[in-house]
Amino acid sequence: MLHKGKKSVASCQSSVVRCSGKLATDNGQLATDNTVIYLKERNFNMLKKELIFRNPLRLMGHDTEDILLPGGFGAVLARAGLGKTAILVQLALDSLLRSKNVLHISLADPVKKVCLWYEEVFRNIANQYDVRQIDQLWEAILPYRLIMTFNVDSFSVPKLEERLADLTEQDIFMPQMILIDGLPFDESVRGPLTDFKALAENHGLHVWFTVKTHRHETPGPDGMPTQLLNVKDLFEVVFQLRPEEKNIHIDALKGGAPNSDHSPLFLDPSTMLIRNA
Amino acid sequence: MKSDIQKVRNIGISAHIDSGKTTITERVLYYTKRIHAIHDVKGKDGVGATMDSMELEKERGITIASAATFCQWQGHDINIIDTPGHVDFTIEVERSLRVLDGAVLVLCAVGGVQSQSVTVDQQMKRYKVPCIAFINKCDRSGANPSRVIGQLKEKLGHNAVAMQIPIGLEADLEGVADLAAMKAIYFDGDKGEDIRIEEIPEELLPEALEKREELIDAASMFSDELMEAALEEAVTEELLISAIRKGTLTRELTPVFMGSAYKNKGVQPLLDGVTRLLPCPSDVENRALDPENDEAEVILTANPEDPMVALAFKLEDGQYGQLTYIRVYQGTLSKGATVINARTRKKVRIGRVARMHASQMEEIDNIPAGYIGALFGIDCASGDTFVSPRTNLTMTSMYVPEPVISLAIVPKDNKAEINMSKALTRFTKEDPTFKTYVSEETGDTVISGMGELHLEVYVERMRREYDAPVTTGMPRVAYRETITKRAEFNYTHKKQTGGAGQFGRVAGYIEPCTEGDFTFENKVTGGSIPTQFIPACEKSFKGCLKKGSKMEFPVTGVKIVINDGASHAVDSSEMAFKAAARGAFREGYAKAGPVIHEPIMKVVVETPTEFQGSVMGSLNQRRGMIVGSQDEGPMCVIEAQVPLSEMFGYSTVLRSLTQGKAQFTMEFSGYKQVPKTVEEELIRKAAEEKKNVA
Repeated sequence: MLHKGKKSVASCQSSVVRCSGKLATDNGQLATDNTVIYLKERNFNMLKKELIFRNPLRLMGHDTEDILLPGGFGAVLARAGLGKTAILVQLALDSLLRSKNVLHISLADPVKKVCLWYEEVFRNIANQYDVRQIDQLWEAILPYRLIMTFNVDSFSVPKLEERLADLTEQDIFMPQMILIDGLPFDESVRGPLTDFKALAENHGLHVWFTVKTHRHETPGPDGMPTQLLNVKDLFEVVFQLRPEEKNIHIDALKGGAPNSDHSPLFLDPSTMLIRNA
Repeated sequence: MKSDIQKVRNIGISAHIDSGKTTITERVLYYTKRIHAIHDVKGKDGVGATMDSMELEKERGITIASAATFCQWQGHDINIIDTPGHVDFTIEVERSLRVLDGAVLVLCAVGGVQSQSVTVDQQMKRYKVPCIAFINKCDRSGANPSRVIGQLKEKLGHNAVAMQIPIGLEADLEGVADLAAMKAIYFDGDKGEDIRIEEIPEELLPEALEKREELIDAASMFSDELMEAALEEAVTEELLISAIRKGTLTRELTPVFMGSAYKNKGVQPLLDGVTRLLPCPSDVENRALDPENDEAEVILTANPEDPMVALAFKLEDGQYGQLTYIRVYQGTLSKGATVINARTRKKVRIGRVARMHASQMEEIDNIPAGYIGALFGIDCASGDTFVSPRTNLTMTSMYVPEPVISLAIVPKDNKAEINMSKALTRFTKEDPTFKTYVSEETGDTVISGMGELHLEVYVERMRREYDAPVTTGMPRVAYRETITKRAEFNYTHKKQTGGAGQFGRVAGYIEPCTEGDFTFENKVTGGSIPTQFIPACEKSFKGCLKKGSKMEFPVTGVKIVINDGASHAVDSSEMAFKAAARGAFREGYAKAGPVIHEPIMKVVVETPTEFQGSVMGSLNQRRGMIVGSQDEGPMCVIEAQVPLSEMFGYSTVLRSLTQGKAQFTMEFSGYKQVPKTVEEELIRKAAEEKKNVA
């Protein structure tokens, strides 16, 4: 199914090329420069759809548009500096392109740095797919994003609920997806996570976390790192970034289907984008 | 001129309004023998403080013009440069912060870290200016220096350490105990000019030892030598000071001094702190921009032998004409030398070179790198860079943002009119973001700048400094028009009724373009439009851009390509082609989906967390897009993109929403398309205005 999605994009692309060829023969003359430009000028929504469709993220999840179901928790695990935030931002951009509100909560970086992450990843995506109306597209998705940063020590679920109430009561912003970057997964994390799960289920939110793992810690029997052992039941999907030689593999530890029957997924270290082999 | 660069300090004194910045500066000038009597800010003698030249500064709590004063302390030359503290004066801020190498952040022992302190601190952070802090007003009731040190840590994120502890507090303030030398310092004499050094009083000793431990702990992070000495309990004053200096230079440590400038206590140790802890010009890495290489940064050397690079940062009208304050960053600026003004690329011959010395000016032969001096009779604007011939560098970006807001001003009487024009000439020279012109339609003088406050301050300065009272109109936002799609045109201008005939046909297309405001391309082949008429077409298109046909706003971001046309051997003329191009533009423009763009401001509000919701709501109501919010302990910073037209009077709204506890800054971010409903409203208003005029 997932592979089919990919195929259909390819066929759609070729149809564009054939289409221009056909036009040329029907008119009995060579297509002028103008014609080609008109053909390439894609409708804005089409462009968005195409970007969503071609995103290898589609290969990570289930048949639904979202990898997570409403109220679901997902986690991206990796050692420091491998690209957890990059994956999170790509998940966010995918939702933003589908006009879904994303609340990005960073407990480590200031707003400015988070913004830079988005700009960088978006520019790389646009370059990769040769998007021309990059500025327009960027302007169009920005209103769907809100960034909040907290000090790690002062962050708590009641505090977040209070902030969310501020936003929703005045109809300023209703998040559909929440990303939490930098939450320490220590022994005491189960309590807040359970509260948060209830909040997510009540509001039908998709929630993604980054989890920092450490090289010296041995994972549990199912490959789950120590940080998640105590709380893995709360998560529907868990991905892990695994560096191997020059590549960074994206493995599914729980849920998702990156390795099931198709080519494995990687994180390209130069662009920080997800790609399949 | 002696040139021991190690003994030069270029510093700024920044503070919240009423923290005593003027009083401190006054004491500094007195103790350094720059002035011979102390005048208090609101003293009975009615003279007023020396640096207190602009009443407006006091009223609004912002410093508007950057002045430079020179003094000497313990063999060191200290240049004190005033720092403006509002974001509306972006260019002025950048310019003066570039000139100073270090700063003294003045805080009130009662008020602590106040909103303006946050703003100036942010600016220093942005320009990486090392600073020391001075807690003033320790004689006031409610003074609590250790609480202020705590606030410096929490609110401003400084690694603040006390260099002193007060001996007595509030009305009993007697002096300070120096924790590096472990001596008590008392200030005797009428004006505290006689310093008496004694042993620290016994009852204070335990506290002093404890604080000294803290100081050594913090400083030892920057020196292994000190760390070792601390373990062996053999810390010397020199070792400690040199470690503190290392931390200060990298902005990782903020040494805190204290006292009461009004009661003449603690100012001399602060001056010692300036000379011992703040950087000299060669400690600071200065960067210039290379305009030929996409404004890439170039690191300057403090070597007086290298090609000269200097920045004119302040102009002053003196009795001998324009006096230009200048700081040399690299090389040496010598009398009689020929230098290039990097902005205009014009050659300038340096006539007289001077430095401000005591109460008079001292003429000198050259200004070496790191020093501040003054030039006579040089025609330049502030912010201009002077370089040696064959060097092409600039200290400030050549990019000057276009003004986003304008205001019509009318002088109250004839005298005011003459003074107003003098004032405007001067302001435009000083501040490239401030512009003025006479409106063709209404005949009004219009001033334009980077924000509401920016213009308000200039209007006030006109009244106070130039005795030119003016009445102002409603502020106007600089809207623009642009197109959204490509459209073709093919227009024939034909006139054969009476007189000489006119004929010209212009065909091509118009399309949006992101590079520059206007691009013109000639793709006409085979001479369908004779070459001599092409410039006329281009000129005519350019003329059309001044007023778009949608709302009569200037048109930007347009590329026009002409690829065909026709002419007549007799009837074609420049005039005919100009008319044809005008018609072609109208035809193409209407089809190209014209839209209106408005200036969008980056608004940053800092508010106590409890008001976060209402502040976000207020920004949302103003069509603002909230980018994010940053939790910083009890305060939170909200960043949003808001149309300028919605921001008029926001300061009042914000004050009432947050009990005056929030503050905001605003700077130009870019242009964005106006939503349909707002566009309709604009069109309706414009139509109404036209009707009223008619």
